[in-house]
Amino acid sequence: MKAVCWMGTSDVQTMTVDDPKILNPHDAILKITRTAICGSDLHLYDGFIPTMESGDILGHEFMGLVEEVGKDVTNLRRGDRVVVPFTIACGNCIFCKKKIWSACDNTNPNAHLMEAAYGYSGSGLFGYSHMMGGYAGGQAQYVRVPFANVGPLKIESDLPDEKVLFLSDIFPTGYMAAENAQIEEGDTVAVWGCGPVGIFAIASAFMLGAARVIAIDRLPERLEMARNFGAITVDYSEEDVDVLTAIKDLTGGMGPDSCIDAVGLEAHSTELQGFYDKVKTAVMLETDRPSVLRQAIQAVRKGGTLSIPGVYGGLLDKVPFGAAFGKGITMKMGQTNMHNYMKPLLERVEKGQIDPSSIISHRITLDEVPEMYKVWRDKRDNVTKIVIDPWAERAA
Amino acid sequence: MDRALSEKPTAEKVPQSGAAGVVLNGHYLPPPADKDGKQWVRTSALILKPVSDLYELWRDVEKASLWQEQIVEVRATGPKTSHWVMLTGDDPDKSIEWDSEVLNDEPGKRIAWNSIGGDSDNAGEVIFETAPGGRGTVVTVLQEFHMSKLASAWETLTGRNPKQAIIENLRHFKALAETGEIPRTQGQPHGPRGTSGKTKKSLYGETIATPPGGQRIAS
Repeated sequence: MKAVCWMGTSDVQTMTVDDPKILNPHDAILKITRTAICGSDLHLYDGFIPTMESGDILGHEFMGLVEEVGKDVTNLRRGDRVVVPFTIACGNCIFCKKKIWSACDNTNPNAHLMEAAYGYSGSGLFGYSHMMGGYAGGQAQYVRVPFANVGPLKIESDLPDEKVLFLSDIFPTGYMAAENAQIEEGDTVAVWGCGPVGIFAIASAFMLGAARVIAIDRLPERLEMARNFGAITVDYSEEDVDVLTAIKDLTGGMGPDSCIDAVGLEAHSTELQGFYDKVKTAVMLETDRPSVLRQAIQAVRKGGTLSIPGVYGGLLDKVPFGAAFGKGITMKMGQTNMHNYMKPLLERVEKGQIDPSSIISHRITLDEVPEMYKVWRDKRDNVTKIVIDPWAERAA
Repeated sequence: MDRALSEKPTAEKVPQSGAAGVVLNGHYLPPPADKDGKQWVRTSALILKPVSDLYELWRDVEKASLWQEQIVEVRATGPKTSHWVMLTGDDPDKSIEWDSEVLNDEPGKRIAWNSIGGDSDNAGEVIFETAPGGRGTVVTVLQEFHMSKLASAWETLTGRNPKQAIIENLRHFKALAETGEIPRTQGQPHGPRGTSGKTKKSLYGETIATPPGGQRIAS
């Protein structure tokens, strides 16, 4: 089959590899019908997430048709159409029973690597480094899905793939971000980053009762998307715009009830600190560039909540913890507990409350993926979301 | 000692002595220190299965090859004795063998064993206890081994420190008990690994074969 392989930092190639096969009794093999590139794939592309091996198949946002099931998968049959959550969960350990699915105890074959770095291991993820399990991902024509009795969500309506594909990660991730923001009716919420997760966080904040959402980014196409979803936008790259002042101006000086960092470890910053973090990460004195995190901690109101769906991987420098303590804020974060959100969010899509496909800007073939990673990283060509048809041939 | 607080409606009695010497008189004790060529490892896991199921799975020595790394065969040679065969690398013809005897068998509570000749000098015990609050079963393993042919072969040929192997084996045991399989990626597709990829695989312990777990039960 064809698959997108990580071959090193800034080196992604579409290659021919073996087809996946059933390896465990709860496995299923999917024929992938649609897959996507995630903003978090750029952290792998840019070499920010350790324990990638050349030859790794990328991709954790995918859906498809069940091709084959292992002998203990009783709820799926060949031909079923399913969306697959990017976190792999066993359904039986104490964390799955508590519905903290992304902390599953039994799905990471390399748990010892994550234990060394984080104290304990989280669940395995598709296509997201060997520390996170080393599972082959879904930017490919076929994929093996472990614990297929637990994760995949069957799509029984005739909704097109593009409307349900994002239930695999970014819609639930944006929704959990809003849930973690502990929004009460009438709240004001500020969202940093108007990429796909930020956009779904904005939409979800409104669904959960926000009266006003302030969206912060610098790219015109993203700011426009945020306004389409109902947010007030702030372009931090405009001359004379200071984000903290803007946020105070828009909240009567009080600050937002909740802040959402939908950017994560590779934040771009126009300030001096942006240069500082670039240098420190380049010489490996710091692994992440937390400029959004710093700003969000400053911006949130006293006693407010900071929700962090953006990915962080390692060590952060100069995080204003005194401000966090001084204002008595709450911080909530982590990989998405996918399995809690897929079904209720599918219902919202089925009812027509939201059209997730509205964020798609590019539809491409597998052969076009390597060049699109560059476009996505450099934010060229008004890119907002890239969806791949793994069976389409390159247009002549 | 216990009188400073009388209102603790859900507190459990503090154990006076806990599994594998973890607690003594209400106080935590670290694992025994390595000494005179003898190495110790103590590890524990919380497993959501009844104590009795876990005791039985562990006591069924012939099933050990399903969840213990590099163990290709265990044969019961008597009610308390067994013969163990362990691979020392990728070559199926290269193995070490030893016999083991159960010294103490308390059904539903504890199993202690000792090697009785062959290529390995090891002893260990496993203790099954209901977790605080009744939230599953805590399984604690305490194992000692002499740096012998076993330990050195293990480390040099498998790339896995023998202490880590005990930890991984308990992890495999838990996965098998809770889910009926052991998570694996060996055998999945990938692009060319190159030199750096191969080095990393070995560094991350991915060259050690994942035990079959539910694969063999399945067939």
